[in-house]
Amino acid sequence: MKRWLALALFGLVLAPTISSSAPMDDLRNFVRGSWQQLRQAHAGAPLIVHFWGVTCGPCRAEMPRWGQFLKQHPGLPLVTIDADLVPNDADAVKSMLQQSGLTKAENWMFDDDFVERLRYEIDPHWQGDIPRTLLIARDGSTTTIDGVVDFAKVSAWLNHEDKESN
Amino acid sequence: MKLDVLTTAAIGLALCGSALAQMEHHHEGMHHHEGAGTAKCANASLACATQATPAFAPDGTLWLAWTANGTVSVAHSRDLARTWSPPVAVNPKPLDLDWGPDSRPSIAVDKDNRVFVAFARFRNSKFDGEVLFSRSLDGGNSFAAATPITDNTESQRFQALVLDADGSLFAAWLDKRDRVPAMAHGEKYVGAGLGFAWSNDHGATFSAAKIAEDNTCECCRLGAGFAGRGRPVVAFRNVFGGTVRDHAVLTFLNPHTPGPIYRVSVDDWQTDVCPHQGPTLAISPDGTYHIVWFTEGSARKGLFYASSADGGRTFTQPMRIGDPERNPARPYLLAADRTLWLVWKEFDGKSTTVSLMTSGDGGRIWSAPRVVAHTDDASDHPLLVRNGRQVFLSWQTRAEGYRLIALENTQ
Repeated sequence: MKRWLALALFGLVLAPTISSSAPMDDLRNFVRGSWQQLRQAHAGAPLIVHFWGVTCGPCRAEMPRWGQFLKQHPGLPLVTIDADLVPNDADAVKSMLQQSGLTKAENWMFDDDFVERLRYEIDPHWQGDIPRTLLIARDGSTTTIDGVVDFAKVSAWLNHEDKESN
Repeated sequence: MKLDVLTTAAIGLALCGSALAQMEHHHEGMHHHEGAGTAKCANASLACATQATPAFAPDGTLWLAWTANGTVSVAHSRDLARTWSPPVAVNPKPLDLDWGPDSRPSIAVDKDNRVFVAFARFRNSKFDGEVLFSRSLDGGNSFAAATPITDNTESQRFQALVLDADGSLFAAWLDKRDRVPAMAHGEKYVGAGLGFAWSNDHGATFSAAKIAEDNTCECCRLGAGFAGRGRPVVAFRNVFGGTVRDHAVLTFLNPHTPGPIYRVSVDDWQTDVCPHQGPTLAISPDGTYHIVWFTEGSARKGLFYASSADGGRTFTQPMRIGDPERNPARPYLLAADRTLWLVWKEFDGKSTTVSLMTSGDGGRIWSAPRVVAHTDDASDHPLLVRNGRQVFLSWQTRAEGYRLIALENTQ
């Protein structure tokens, strides 16, 4: 598993907020067993899973950049999971997704206060630090990015996955 | 599982029964949006508590302050948590209490059975907090209206409240007031400051708050103890160089003069994200500082112990605690006479266990870890509390409720 260092972007100029009036698609509740369900639903295809939280400053700065990235890559296989270390209000999660232009992504939020168990199902060694992004290749091999992503690297990974499929 | 315990005291069966019934309901109906399972356990009772903090009064009475659905309540028990006095709400009107994973109510009881409670609430949706203080002068029958511990209205969270030997109350917390002048100068203010105040009149008033140190991590609990009368010691996650969230200790030179901060360990955890995991500090009678902390640094990752025999100037080489394959976390240390007690949580994918280790020689040699409690659902941090020579594990868990478990020193 490759870990890239977190980039210190907190507090820097944010990407302009994309205003979106699109209605919020389903915000799914992430409970015990959801991870397996999610992985099965996307098996055999590349997948980007981004973990974030309403109370996480760097996440709030990064989310609109994911929204922009999604706009630049229509059909991007993007899943967001609100995995905040504190319980989040669903309306606050939806509001952030809307403001970030991420209503078209597949969006989930943790909905079980036994969070150790939810995290363990995803990665037994994950202690809950966010933002965190998993790049899951077609063959299931996973690259974990701790901290804010470098979108150039995500693009490079996507291009590589696209070539693999051709 | 066989538990090495002398007594296991859970709260009244009626309460537990209702908590279990509510849990089953919760698991059946997962399709709601309230988040935390508290949605189905909706009252202020101990059965619904997410955090519970114990304190033994000098007379051997166990006091407990807990948080449940926006209310901080207090009750006491004269039979080691078998039966409780009727709970008294410190804030009868529910508040948006600080829900940070390391946030919990603080409680201290003095020799005259004055009960002191402090807790934090959110004052806005930006997670700025306010530390509120209350006390009871009638043996816990009633509490004064909770009032802010400082008149500054920026942000205070993660308070620690400890009683000095002379009965003075020392409060420390994470305070963001110094971001105001920083931002006025166009500077970025990282983290929070370590704020403190004293009460020398049994909680009637607190001194004007001061900031002992700027740029600490803003989301982690503090560890607090005393190096001597009027000389508090605070352990905290600091922000070194703007991005490295490693641990530090600060010892007061006298009640109003914070000394220099010393780094506990160079773990080099570079992160801009709140770890939500603060340290635990214990000071043994010989003055040795003991600290256990969690890090994901480039130098080491996991749970570690170190001690300092020179007032925090230098620390021993960090010693790994727990099984790194089982996410060791949430440590708690207690120094009782010559024995050092340490508990922490581990998780194997299904069960959360609390492990115990003891040391009779100031932390050089430790007993093998042994599991003293477990649960299969959500749980509070494990805490240690002492009544005379007897040390107890105090643990609030969703499935079992509150447990006070007498621990045996098997060294």
